Order: sequence, then structure tokens, then C-alpha cells
Amino acid sequence: MSSIFNDFAEGQRTGSGHRLAAALTPVAPAENPDRLKAFFYFSNATRVASDLRYSLFQATGIRLPKQETNAWIEIFTPYWKAVGEIVRFDDAPSHASWVKVFDAWKETTNMLIRGYSTGGLPAWTVPCLYVVGRYLRAFAMKADAELSSQDSAAFGDRFQDDASTDFRNAKLEEATRVINRMFTLCLSDRASIEESRKWGIYDTTNLLFKSYFKLNSVGLSKNLLRALNASSADLPSMDAFPKSHIVTFKYYIGVIHFLDENYAEAEEHLSYAWNMCHQAATKNKELILSYLVPCHLVTTHTLPSKELLASFPRLEKLFRPLCNCIRKGDLSGFDTAMTAAEEEFVKRRIYLPLERGRDIALRNLFRKVFIAGGFDEPKEGQPLIRRTRVPVAEFAAALRVGTHAEEGSRVDIDEVECLLANLIYKGLMKGYIARERGMVVLSKGGTAFPGTGV
Amino acid sequence: MSSGIPPWRATASATATTSLPSSHAAPAYIPVQARRSLTTKAPKPVPSSASTPSTAAEAADRKRVDFPEAVRKYVQRSFAPEHRLPGVERSEMETKLKTIITEAAEGNLLDKIDWETLPLPQVMVQNDRNRVLASPSVSSWGVFGTASPKKPAAAVDDPSKKRKSVEYQGDANSCPPWRQTNSQNAFEDRITYPSTDKRQKIDMKNTSKSKANLEMRRKRFEDPQARHGSSPSSRGDSPAPSADQGPVVGRCQNLEKNYFRLTSAPNPDTVRPLPVLMKTLDLLKKKWKKDNNYGYICDQFKSLRQDLTVQHIRNEFTVSVYEIHARIALEKGDLGEYNQCQTQLRALYAQQLGGHPTEFRAYRILYFIHTRNWTAMNDALADLTAADKRDPAVKHALDVRSALALGNYHRFFQLYLDTPNMGAYLMDMFVDRERLSALAAICKAYKPDVKIRFITEELGFESDEQSAHFILDHTAEDMLQEKDGVVRLLTSGKAGQLFEGAKADAHRVVDIKGQI
Repeated sequence: MSSIFNDFAEGQRTGSGHRLAAALTPVAPAENPDRLKAFFYFSNATRVASDLRYSLFQATGIRLPKQETNAWIEIFTPYWKAVGEIVRFDDAPSHASWVKVFDAWKETTNMLIRGYSTGGLPAWTVPCLYVVGRYLRAFAMKADAELSSQDSAAFGDRFQDDASTDFRNAKLEEATRVINRMFTLCLSDRASIEESRKWGIYDTTNLLFKSYFKLNSVGLSKNLLRALNASSADLPSMDAFPKSHIVTFKYYIGVIHFLDENYAEAEEHLSYAWNMCHQAATKNKELILSYLVPCHLVTTHTLPSKELLASFPRLEKLFRPLCNCIRKGDLSGFDTAMTAAEEEFVKRRIYLPLERGRDIALRNLFRKVFIAGGFDEPKEGQPLIRRTRVPVAEFAAALRVGTHAEEGSRVDIDEVECLLANLIYKGLMKGYIARERGMVVLSKGGTAFPGTGV
Repeated sequence: MSSGIPPWRATASATATTSLPSSHAAPAYIPVQARRSLTTKAPKPVPSSASTPSTAAEAADRKRVDFPEAVRKYVQRSFAPEHRLPGVERSEMETKLKTIITEAAEGNLLDKIDWETLPLPQVMVQNDRNRVLASPSVSSWGVFGTASPKKPAAAVDDPSKKRKSVEYQGDANSCPPWRQTNSQNAFEDRITYPSTDKRQKIDMKNTSKSKANLEMRRKRFEDPQARHGSSPSSRGDSPAPSADQGPVVGRCQNLEKNYFRLTSAPNPDTVRPLPVLMKTLDLLKKKWKKDNNYGYICDQFKSLRQDLTVQHIRNEFTVSVYEIHARIALEKGDLGEYNQCQTQLRALYAQQLGGHPTEFRAYRILYFIHTRNWTAMNDALADLTAADKRDPAVKHALDVRSALALGNYHRFFQLYLDTPNMGAYLMDMFVDRERLSALAAICKAYKPDVKIRFITEELGFESDEQSAHFILDHTAEDMLQEKDGVVRLLTSGKAGQLFEGAKADAHRVVDIKGQI
């Protein structure tokens, strides 16, 4: 049942950044649904600064250096205003506007940043940055949604014609710029590490990653990574940071590598995130897996097990049809499954790697040809040896079956050879094509299809 | 306006002309307005010394303009004896004051300037002087200051101007990086900004330098009016193109115009209106057919595009200008320019302005194959609608992408030989790269050799000679041997390695920055 002022005072008294940050959380806790209203109606626009001074400091007996005191008042003043705009959604919905909430909240954020850079706020209060930054992003997205619903076909006031004009995310872009300053604020703090804002670096980085992904400017994440790398020597090792920061960070690093088709590295980071992720964070685990599964398919050619996906019905639904077709070597089924889920795959940015699953499906199909080919004439006293010379025509026939080719359609032997050549090149098959004789010569001794037992 | 021109008037208008480059629309300095501002109620409170108050009073009688309370207070404060600064003549102060208010009135900034905190004119005068004395280094930039000998600094430091330059800081920083293109950055790098100047403007408020810097930073970042979108490079001393300023309406009648990157608000006299631009396009099309001079055409198209942009013309004509320029750039392999057009076209198509969206969506996919930008490729795929995917050109591009993703060179080269529209220009750029990949695979998969004929057919070469040449360019001579009357490629491990190396070289990330 604590009020905003209680949280502030308690946070200051006990030196708890999270308690302090609770005071700046613009959402009323369930057990005190009127908390924001109470805070807003305790003052009015003309008196708010002095009321805050009284309620935050004089009434609570918290004594801070003058500069810091003033910084907090400067932070809480726009905060009070922002809360007023939020409260309006309850009290006068027709006048409520997320854009106004965002603007007031942005001011709050700016003041907070200023508090750190010039107001002498101590580093233990950085959780305030997390909370304020998180809501800045949230409000920005709501404001953008509001703006686009009102639809103002805003025209860019640009004199250069060099970029596309996309105003759907104007507020989020604005927010991202502010968060970027938080990033710098944390990274460039030179205080000794015990009292450094550097502890906030991964959280703010994560916020930026999220925004960049949302803004479809993933490329910008690399600038952050470069900055992080440059000062990595001054950063404590990763396991010293809160796990929640690191898991998210690793997830994004993994995804960034993933998008660059660096699947091996992506897998490393994603696995880290997967292993460290909180057991109960199902949503996060699902997100990690949605990249880790395609990653694994590309790097190790393995499919996710039933048990793994059992607790993620959405992923099960997304991947299972595809996996089944890959396992069976059903090429046309694979193509159908890809087309069916294309939109979802593209949205999740996993279409391109999943597409490579077709190679595995093809391998499985050709493997069946090899197995169906049976064994060579047994020689006296020798173990059975599989027939390792397989006519290309047999693979072509299999391909007709696999793709449900129409009767009478021509098989392009050159294309079959090309597919075989690719599998050999990629190491999915071992052997060679003797073109003159129209024959594939596979490797003997159970290594023709490496890793599959034959 | 007739009689007894007060001494300040001459100066004020002089200042106005000096400080506002001709590019600014004329109405900005109609003298009447200038005087009007002066009107200010300055006189009443301190009716001590003669000249100005009386003039002002007259003016006030003639045209009672309502000045905001804040302006009046500001004037009062300026004249208040306790704010007098030793060494600043009253006349200087008055001139300065006049300039400030005139500029504010002209710029419609009367309500926007924070008169409470604006330094008094005498303070500005003093600061200006200090600056000129303290930093001879600005001189190159401060041409304006020295241009009017009497009041060296007045022109540099009028408040509206200062404001704008501060806004510009905001702009520069607020232009989100994803809006900035390479060329913009490069351009910025080449400019040297009058850094000393920025700092000193702040000095008016804070004497401490470090404090001033902090203040500067704060302002830069917190400017509430920070707008994104306007070009970061257009700062400096020119009047600001502001967001509320509507589109320019051009008056230029010349058909041709060289491209010059704007660093300030466009001058309507050099901007061509739509009907002229349409004629320009016809002329350019003819010239292109006749002379085929890419340097000229590209330059002309850029200025054409610029004129469209500054006039906010976005219609079917705009689309066709970008499409034509994009095609010409494609033909000439100028990918940098092509990419600019393509980016803009994507935005234009999103507004349903006609044109040939599917043709260019197909190019876009091919382009990303070439630049190997998979993230962008994913976005390009996401952009496609079901209808787009049925379009032959888009379908072709998608098939090309998929063939390459799966290493199906056989299919890839079939598609290559059958490319719709101008896609072949794009495919030409990466076809050799893909040939190397295919050869690397072939060398590994086929033993002991393949006929050269097979390579020619599979990899879309025009003749056996051409494919032999290509192979020899990347490997050693002994890789090709004649056997049974046919030339064959020995698919040895060595050949494979050579192709592998060549492939890796060719697949390094493509740099598209180099523009013709």
C-alpha cells in the first residue's frame, strides 16, 4: 500500500535502486490501484515543485546534497505531469493522449539523464534508468499507434531526397535517440566500477536492440557492439551482471549473428541465453528457441525433438510440419509447408535458414535411394556391402516421387546432377559423379551419407 | 516611413540584408515590418534620452501592433538604468534591440522566443565584442560580422539566428542515424563547423566556459522542437529551413540545371516548377538517347529530383523520374545512384502513386542478392504481397534467390538466361561470383573430369572459348586438357582449391559505396 513518496523515501533510506525505481513506475500496483491518481491530485501545476520538495524530502526526512535534491525534484516534476496525462485516460478519456504522455515522459527521461550527468545522482540508482527507459519505449509505441490511427500523412521537411520517409515510428525514433543517450551515459561513466553506471550498460543496450529491431534498423545494433567492444576492457565480466540483462543481451547478439548468417556464432550465443534463461520465462525461452531451432538445423542438420517442443505449442505448430517433411524426404510437402508458413517465417526472420532444410530433405530422399539399392553380390565369407554405384537415373526417379512430378513431365538430368553435386559439395553425401557413365559412386564402409549410419 | 529616417533604421535593414542570404524569400525584409517591431513600448518606462523613444512612439501611433507582454517587459528591462553596461553606448544597445525585435517579428518568433531569459541587448553587444576580440580564428567564418563595419557583431548575433543555429544542433543530432545515408555522413565530415561560435553564443548566459558547454549540450539534446527529418548538413550561417515553412514554389524556367547539394533553404528562383520539370524530363530522355552521356544525365536527374523534393511534389511524375533515373543508373552500373532511387521508390510505391512497383520490387531482390544483405532481403520478402509474388518479374527474382540459397546453379543459370526487364544488368554483377561457386562444387563432385561443353551449358557461358577463358583466369593452364578431341576440365583437388579461393574473394561483402 505504499505511496510513491514511501517508495522514494524507503529506496533512499535503504539504498535500494529497485525500490526507488518503483516510485518512478507509471503503473499503479495491483494492491494500490489509485496510487497514480493520489500522486497526481496531491498538487497542481503551479505548486508542484514546492509540494514535491516537501513530500519527497521535508516530510520524509531524507537529506541529500542540495544538487541531488534539486535533481530529484526536476525529475519528479515532469513525472508528475506525465502521471497526470496517464490518469486522464481514466478521468477524461476524450482528452487523453499517448502522445502527450510520451512527451511528458520524455521530459522525465531527459531530466533523469541530466540528473546523472550533472545532478550527481549516485550510481546505485540506475534501476531508475531501466524503468524510465522501458516505459519511454512503451509510451513511444503507443503514441505512434495513436498517431497512425489518426493518420496524418505527414510530409517530411527534408530537402534531400536520400531516404525513405517513414513516419509510422516517429516517436519510437525519438525515444531511441533518448535511450541512446542513456547508453552513452552508462558506458562513458569513468567512476570506479563499484559505483559506476556501467552496471546499467547491458540493460540500456537491450532497450536499444529492441527498438532497432522494431524500427527495422538492425544494422545500427552493430554500432552499439562496436562501442561495447571498444570499452570491453573496462567492463566487468559478463557473469557479474544481473542474469536478466545478460540473457536478453546474449539473445540479441545471437539473433544479430543469425541474421548475418553466422549460424555457428549465433548458436553459441543463443545456447548461452537458452541455458541461462529463467525456467519460468516461457515466452523468452520460446523466442530463443525460435532462432535456435533453425540455427541447429543449419549447423548440425538435426531436427528438434518432440520433447523439446512439447512445452511450446506455438513452436511445435510452426516447425513440426516442416520437420516431418524433412525427415521423410518429402520435397513437395516441404515446399508446401514453407509456402504455408512463409509469412510467419519471414516475420520472424527465419525463412532463409529454414529454406536450407530442403537440402536435408533431399539428402534423406537420396539416402532412401541408396538403401533401396540394396547390396552388391555377396562374396564368399565377406560381410554384405551396399551397392555404392548408383545410376543418376535412380536419383532422378526418386526426385520425381519426392516432388510429385506430373506424369509425362521431363526430368532434367543435369539438374539432378546439380543437386547431387551440391550435396556432395556440402558434405551431406560422400562420393563422386562420373558424368560420362551417368553414375554416382558413393563411398564405401557406411560413410556415404555421413552421420546417418549408412 | 517617409521622413527623418532614424539612424538605426539604416543599420537594421542593412543587417537584415546581410544576414539573410538572397535565398530567403523576399517578404522577409520588407522594411515596414522592421519598423513595426520597433514600435515597442520601449519609450514609456524610461523616457529619459530623446531619439529612440520618440521615434518609437510615433511608430506606435501609426500602427498599433500588439506586442506580447513579454516583449514589452524585455524592452523595459533593456532600458532600465540598472542594466546599463559600462562601455556599451545606449545607441548601440538600441540598435541591437531593434535588430532583435525586428528579426523576431519578421520570423514570427515573437511568441516563441523566451524573452524572460533572452540576454539583454547590451549584454549581447558586449559578448559580440568580446568574441571578436577573443577569437580571431572565427574571422573566416564571421565574414558577416566584419561586413558591416559599424556594428561588427550585430549581424552575427541576432537572436532569431542564434535560435536557429541552436535548433540546428538539435536537428543534426536528432536526425536518426537510420535516416542518414552514407553520402550524408561523408558530406558532414567534409564540413568544418564554426565550433567556436557555437560556444560563444552561450557565453552570453554563462560566463563559465565549462558550464556553457554543458548548457550547450543540454540545449542541443533537449530542444523540444527537435524535429527529425531535416538535413543535418544544412546548418551554418544560413537562415534555417524550418519545419513549419511550407514547400518551396519554384520560379525558375530553365530546363537544365546542375546539381548542387543544398546546404540551406532552397531559393525559389533556382527551383523549377512542375510544368518546367516535365519538359526537363522530356529533354533529358532525348539527350540520353542521343548522347548517352551518363555524367551529364545523372547530374541533371539529381537536380530534377532535388527540385521535386523541395517542392514536396509526390505524384506519378515523381515516380517516373525516379524510375527512369534508376533504370539509367542500372544500365550504367551506377549502383550507388540506383540504390538511392530504389529506396525512394519503395517509399513512393507505398503511397500508391502508380509506376511499376513489381518491376522494381524484382530489382530490389536482385540487388540484395548482389549486396548479400540478408537482413534487407528478409525485409524485401516481407514487403511482398501475394499478388506481387505472382508477377513474372518478382517470381523470377524470388526463384533466383531460392536457387542460389540452395546452391542450385543449374536452375540459377537457366533463370539468368531468361531475365525479364533490366534485371540482367543486376544479375551480370554477380553471375561470375556464382560461376565460381558452381565450379567449386563441380570440381568437388565430378570425377575425374568434365567436358568444357558441359560447363558452358551449365553456367550460362556464350561459348566454349568464353568458359575456357573464365576457367583459365582463375586457375592454372594445366587444369584444361584435351582428351578424345574434347577439351576437359580436370576436376582435381587442386582445381577445387583454386576455385574455392577465387570464390571466397568474390564473395567478400560487396561495397556499393563507390558511385560513378
